[in-house]
Amino acid sequence: MAFESSPAQQERNPASLSPQEFKATAEAILTNVEWVIEGKSQTIRLALAVMLAEGHLLLEDVPGVGKTQLAKSLARSVDCSVRRIQFTPDLLPSDVTGVSIFDPEKRDFVFKPGAIFGNLILGDEINRASPKTQAALLECMEERQVTIDGSTYKLRSPFMVIATQNPVEMEGTYPLPEAQRDRFTARLAIGYPDVNAELAMLDHRGEFNPLESLKPVCSGETIVRMIATARAVHVAPELKRYAVDLVAATRSNAQLRLGASPRATLQLLRCAQVLAAMDGRDFALPDDVQQLAVPILAHRLIPTTETSMGGNDSVSIVTDILRHVPVVSQPGRF
Amino acid sequence: MSGQRHATVVAAASLCLTLTPLAGIFQGLGWTIPVLLTVTVVATAGSLMRSAGRGQGLQTLAMVAALLILMTALFNGGTAIAFLIPTPDTLGHWLSVMGVGINDIIVMAPPVEASGGILFLTMMGVGMVAILHDMFIVGLRTPALSGLTLLTMYLVPVSVAPEATAWFWFVLPAVAYLWVLADDNLRRVSGFGHRFTGHGQLVGPRFPSPLAATARTTGAVFVAVTLILLAVIPTNTSGLVDQVARGYGDGPGQGDGEFGDVDPWAQLEGSLKRSDPVDLLRVETDDPSPRYLRMHVADVLTNDGFGPAEYDDLDPLGALTFSGGTVFEATVENLRMGTAVLPVYGRPTEVDLDDGWGVDPATGVIVGDGDGLADVDGYSFSYTDPDWDANVLDEAGEMDPGDPRYDRNTAHPDVPELTARVEDILAGADTTHEKTLAIMDFLSPANDFVYSLDTADAGHDEAILNFLDTRQGYCQQYAAALAWMLREADVPARVIIGLSQGRRSDDIWTLTSDDYHAWVEVYFEGPGWVAFDPTPASGVPNSVSLPWAAEPSDEPTDGAPTSAPADPGATAEPDDAPTLADELQSEDEQAAEGGAIGDEPVGSSPAWLALLVLLAVPLLPALWRSGLRRSRLGAKRLSAQSAWDETVDLSADYGVALNDSLTPRQAAAALATAAPGAKEPADALASAVEFDRYSSRDADTTRLPAAVADLRVSLERSVHPKQRIRARLWPASLAATLTERRGRANRLAALRSRMRGPRRSNARRDQAVTGRP
Repeated sequence: MAFESSPAQQERNPASLSPQEFKATAEAILTNVEWVIEGKSQTIRLALAVMLAEGHLLLEDVPGVGKTQLAKSLARSVDCSVRRIQFTPDLLPSDVTGVSIFDPEKRDFVFKPGAIFGNLILGDEINRASPKTQAALLECMEERQVTIDGSTYKLRSPFMVIATQNPVEMEGTYPLPEAQRDRFTARLAIGYPDVNAELAMLDHRGEFNPLESLKPVCSGETIVRMIATARAVHVAPELKRYAVDLVAATRSNAQLRLGASPRATLQLLRCAQVLAAMDGRDFALPDDVQQLAVPILAHRLIPTTETSMGGNDSVSIVTDILRHVPVVSQPGRF
Repeated sequence: MSGQRHATVVAAASLCLTLTPLAGIFQGLGWTIPVLLTVTVVATAGSLMRSAGRGQGLQTLAMVAALLILMTALFNGGTAIAFLIPTPDTLGHWLSVMGVGINDIIVMAPPVEASGGILFLTMMGVGMVAILHDMFIVGLRTPALSGLTLLTMYLVPVSVAPEATAWFWFVLPAVAYLWVLADDNLRRVSGFGHRFTGHGQLVGPRFPSPLAATARTTGAVFVAVTLILLAVIPTNTSGLVDQVARGYGDGPGQGDGEFGDVDPWAQLEGSLKRSDPVDLLRVETDDPSPRYLRMHVADVLTNDGFGPAEYDDLDPLGALTFSGGTVFEATVENLRMGTAVLPVYGRPTEVDLDDGWGVDPATGVIVGDGDGLADVDGYSFSYTDPDWDANVLDEAGEMDPGDPRYDRNTAHPDVPELTARVEDILAGADTTHEKTLAIMDFLSPANDFVYSLDTADAGHDEAILNFLDTRQGYCQQYAAALAWMLREADVPARVIIGLSQGRRSDDIWTLTSDDYHAWVEVYFEGPGWVAFDPTPASGVPNSVSLPWAAEPSDEPTDGAPTSAPADPGATAEPDDAPTLADELQSEDEQAAEGGAIGDEPVGSSPAWLALLVLLAVPLLPALWRSGLRRSRLGAKRLSAQSAWDETVDLSADYGVALNDSLTPRQAAAALATAAPGAKEPADALASAVEFDRYSSRDADTTRLPAAVADLRVSLERSVHPKQRIRARLWPASLAATLTERRGRANRLAALRSRMRGPRRSNARRDQAVTGRP
């Protein structure tokens, strides 16, 4: 095969890091990225957490706030391959996954891997691609493999898709169907920088583009070890119960037409494990879950029409649920 | 039914419920019909006038008129026009009926027949109360005031018939009152329009408001608490009227003659149990050692015990005879005595009193008419009080069964258990004297009988058997037991109630209410009636030894004031009067007795216990809270979780609201914001509980009690002193603990109901909820 593939044993049994090592490495990556994106440490933190939880990230924000910069700098900080796909209506699924073409020299079909064969895939303006192409991407994201002409090609590890979506200028777009948004672990909005951050940005960018001077601070192999380490973080039964209560609350909420899926519960806890590890802990806390509730749950929920017209969005509903669900649930009460 | 009609019915029905204790006054149920008729007529008149839109004044007039017409119809005596319109003559007739009724009330004891004057008074009273009741509840819409009318109605039977104080008679009036209050509030709330649940859902008009559950619980709790208190507080089982009739009780303003003529046993018991004895008589006599002063002779024995016969067919005082022996003179100054009988020593031969007094031939009791001793400031008499030789008594014969007095003085109810016991005790005793001494030996302290005033009831058959079993009692039980057992053995015996010797100073003997005493007279053919006192000398403050009776032996520590002379003929010398030490000791004993078993005994009485409990109630939350804290932080139970529970409760006590959707860290941050010094201990506690709850290892708990203490100190500093006191005495966390389950359930229910959407068809299970607003 002509593409790199991680050995299976490396994924299954990598030597795990100590909490301190994990924390230090994570801090190094964060510092690195923050050098490019000023004043957005919490967003960067969550983005890194999604990456270490083997999730995919949907950045939904207006143009020019640094979605692509964030994805790029995150990718640069880790020594791994970065592919960028600019989604357009005429993009074909084979552009994403790859295609077998006939090699006259070898007199055989040779697989030409598509853009998806990288560690970090940046899918820009995913809503501009045709649904068929979107579907191809989403399928790879979930299965982490590509099957073409009967052959299955495993994707790399770490593997993460960072898709961006522009909430304005909706004409001629194919917005992601709700069901497909569920494939993304988290949706983040970057938001405009505050005044000081914007001033600092002007100072930096005046001289050079910080993105270009960015050096990797850890290897792809370290990331794989970090992923394994985070998976081993202890999740107490009480915390699992809390996560389930939170998700269940979205399903029974009168303001919502669709609640969060069990996949959301899984990813909520996996990301919480990563946040705990990034904090140097070997056990997750409800605080971790609470930080993640809005990014992980909000984009999966569909508010009722009345709620939307009333000016409430899913973010405020999740915030409200967080305020009401007890951290320690009474068994049999909910 | 319109609102006012409904309220009228409620008012009338609640009054009827309150009338149920009247069943304790009247015989049968005949009284219910006229009384219910009265209530109905009054309510109907008021309701009709209201329907016609008339004001309160006219309503009241109409009710009064209706009542008068009803009374005229039932009690006109032929004086009314067309049986319904009262005339001035009717009024006169009513006055006479009322006179009869009042007289009946005074004369008759409940239960009485509901007719004539009493029925008139009852109907009139109920009618007037019904008018007020209707006015309060329906006319003026002040249902709380109806408590007064209900109370008035309830007090009548309660004051007359003691049975009405039983708890079940209280329940119906209490429920009636709660009903009135609840119904009025329901009307008021219904007047608001639609009713909603706490979560904003509409409640159907025929369903109870969910908010009413609290009111129902509160009402039930109050009724229950009152009933428990009623059960615990000792009630005076004789009704108010009886107490008034008894009419003794001290108080310097009340003057002389307070000891009215009532049941001598009640007087005896009441006097002995007084916590503050009063002086009754002052006697000067030339008898160096006077014995007991006789007053009543209780020689009629029924299942209820010994009681005096009616003293009728009195002989004039001149009929007193002299039967030999030394004659002594006694002069009595009456300090407070008000009885109808005259206390005299031994066998009086001559009494210096007016013609109103006579002597009862069967018993020798000297009885006065009218106010008895209450009118007498003093009197003097001469008497003999022979000493009997034990041998003489041994040889004396028994009363001839043909003697007319025999039946009266040996009659006794058939109590087989007692008969069997007496046979046991008297085995081997032949003569009357031997039998008497055998029973007195049986009743002696050597046989484990103990003198105690703290005895529930006395006299009747079961009480005597109880006394023989428990072996605790006072002179009434001792005397009754001796006399009854002698009668079982066919020995004529009777119980005497009177006064013991009293305290001496020079030749003056002062007798107090503590000197009330009961003893026994046994008949010997020849000597006649001879006194025996089975009560241990320790129990009788100024007892007298009767040389012919082997005095019940006593513990050496007891201060028997008068020593028993060896020679039957000798009398106690003045030197034998109680020594100072004896007196002090006996006073101590009395004081101790008074403290322990006086009118309102401390410590043992449920009333005091109830009072103590009531006083302690405000402190209970504080005690409970500190106990809870100690148990949570105690070495045995200490864990990060228990320390955290304590932290959460502390913050509740000091008014820092910690929602249970906060994580420990957020809670610690909230505490740090509320109290500046609390950050460090709160963080320590939060991180311990985090560790305990969410990590796979156990948290280190050694520093947690100190952290809790630090937290408490800093919280205390951060609040106003008033809140500090409240946090200590009335910790808010306790209330939260009590309502925790409920509160949590409510919160979740609220959350669920908000989340419950119309899209879910199976979500609406509660049928009482008819829709969303």
